[in-house]
Amino acid sequence: MADNGLGSSSQDSTLIKQNNLECKNLYDYLKTRQPNILEKLYNHPTICLAVYRELPELARHYVIRILFVEQPVPQAVVASWGSQAFSKEHIFVSKVLSELSVWQEAAIPGGLLGWILSPTFKRNLKVALLGGGKAWSMSSALEADSKARDVTFLDAYSLERWECVLHYMVGSQQQEGISADAVRILLHAGLMKRDEEDGSPVITRQGFQFLLLDRQAQVWHFLLQYLDTVEERGLDLVECLTFLFQLSFSTLGKDYSTEGMSPGLLVFLQHLREFGLVYQRKRKAGRFYPTRLALNITSSQNKNASDIEEDAPKGYIVVETNYRVYAYTDSNLQVALIGLFTELMYRFPNLVVGVITRDSVRQALRGGITADQIIGYLKQHAHTQMLQVETKQPLPPTVVDQIKLWELERNRLTYNEGVLYSQFLSQADFNVLKEYAQSNGSLIWCNKEKRTLVINKSAHDDVKKFWKRYSKGN
Amino acid sequence: MACHSKSSQFIYPGPGKPLDVRQVDGQYEAFTIVERTTKQNLAKLLSSENSSVITESLLAGAIAMALCYIARIERTKPPGAKLNSRILVVTGSGCSASQYMNYMNVFFTAQKQNVFIDVCALEQHLSLLQQGCDITSGLYLKVPQLQGLLQYLLWVFLPEPPLREKLVLPPPVKVDYRAACFCHRELIDIGYVCSLCLSS
Repeated sequence: MADNGLGSSSQDSTLIKQNNLECKNLYDYLKTRQPNILEKLYNHPTICLAVYRELPELARHYVIRILFVEQPVPQAVVASWGSQAFSKEHIFVSKVLSELSVWQEAAIPGGLLGWILSPTFKRNLKVALLGGGKAWSMSSALEADSKARDVTFLDAYSLERWECVLHYMVGSQQQEGISADAVRILLHAGLMKRDEEDGSPVITRQGFQFLLLDRQAQVWHFLLQYLDTVEERGLDLVECLTFLFQLSFSTLGKDYSTEGMSPGLLVFLQHLREFGLVYQRKRKAGRFYPTRLALNITSSQNKNASDIEEDAPKGYIVVETNYRVYAYTDSNLQVALIGLFTELMYRFPNLVVGVITRDSVRQALRGGITADQIIGYLKQHAHTQMLQVETKQPLPPTVVDQIKLWELERNRLTYNEGVLYSQFLSQADFNVLKEYAQSNGSLIWCNKEKRTLVINKSAHDDVKKFWKRYSKGN
Repeated sequence: MACHSKSSQFIYPGPGKPLDVRQVDGQYEAFTIVERTTKQNLAKLLSSENSSVITESLLAGAIAMALCYIARIERTKPPGAKLNSRILVVTGSGCSASQYMNYMNVFFTAQKQNVFIDVCALEQHLSLLQQGCDITSGLYLKVPQLQGLLQYLLWVFLPEPPLREKLVLPPPVKVDYRAACFCHRELIDIGYVCSLCLSS
């Protein structure tokens, strides 16, 4: 029991930073763009609608209330819309809206400061809600497709394509390889890295964490990494982002025409086709079908309940209170993922049995996977039987708590770099230095009997100078 | 849903297949479908009504149909999804006590099902519907100016129930809780009450 902290010290210590997978949602991503890019983006109704959807609920109500108001609204009036008890939320929401440049401060005659929606945003949100403006695809002129594809075909297609990428990451030889472009994105995202010996890509810690996310978060994260590299390929970031958002608001099962799309966008479309976000029968076909992966990719990852219309993939994991896990699947990818944090015991043609043990979970934790990710993965793929029996807590609470406890076990020790001061000649010297370090906030530990102190490394020079001054003064 | 003195009908999603709509402008396609279907079905309903006898609007029946719809959605939703159901009644007609029983039935059913009933009264003050709002803790608003209807709808009735406590909204008004006599169907102040079923 005593060695669990030391054994993993090389990964846990604050000396070496642990890179965990950072998944940005739409708000974080847009916050980091410059205002002029935001301005260009807000020229498209679909982006305004996507941003509107992402706002916190209170912000959405503020925006819709002043959507049809032409003059700036005094800030005091806006503040009075929320009740007193929730004033903190009001401040947070105002900050969000300002950061996204959705509204700006404007002066009202009379000297007060007011809020007014930025004009491009206002105009285009109205277009998205009420109509008017240009359609983004020339689909009205499209005749009916002779070889129309239905929703089940599209679902199967997108699943197969996306799993191709995931299988490649795990290294199972089940599917054929993916294109060099996709490999480059995976390497750039840090999800895989080049092995030193033979130069072939090998999955990293972040890659494992990526695999445990839910499908929507995976697609969004992957696309964000792709957009980062888009400038190098000679495509326009604004154009690609716009097209992505327009795609996410399209209707499932309908075809859209490729007329009027620039060559850069057509290249982007081919890439999306490879990842399974759109389906096109041939490269030159004049129409494409968005798949379920492309829809709603911009919606927040915090939404726990699945969309009512969406047909989520069937859950297949049953977790028992004796820590046994039964997974009704035969896909190598899913077996590999379960094998990350359980000890696999039996394998049948349609069933895999594993046990969650302390060792298996600690091995996963050492690999950088957090307990929340494991629990989220199990919850997400829980069998429908488990959901029906207990909707609030599909997993047994004993198992959930125990996984979290095993994670907490690794956090019993914290590490600080410091400098040891010992062998003080007198108690008075020791006390003076101790008081000084304490007032600085750089004291980490002290022991009166042995007269030793540990000072924070960054404050070491400071304390040394003080000590020299003090001893000279005496 | 729309209702008048003869019938109530679902406007959106209407009976029959959904419209196949192509994009013609920058509007979000789902919104285009809703707008077109609503306009089409409403026009159909209005044009098919051609009697000259005007009696009261069948609101209680329409609310009952809406409750059935909500119950069906609740039954068929995936496990774990949470639904905040509410009914908004926008009406220009008056109300008399002739439908008192039906109204009370739907109000108490809605209360049991955790459905909020909001009422937006355009012309007259509706005491019965006001009682309904009070029972189900919904919002009742009599619109003072008809030109500002959109603003009232957006400001008062748009927020979902969990958000309502965070916003400052019109306070509930004192409700007229007089019962109606079962045989004469008039509102009365003092009356006899049956000890078994409490009908007065």
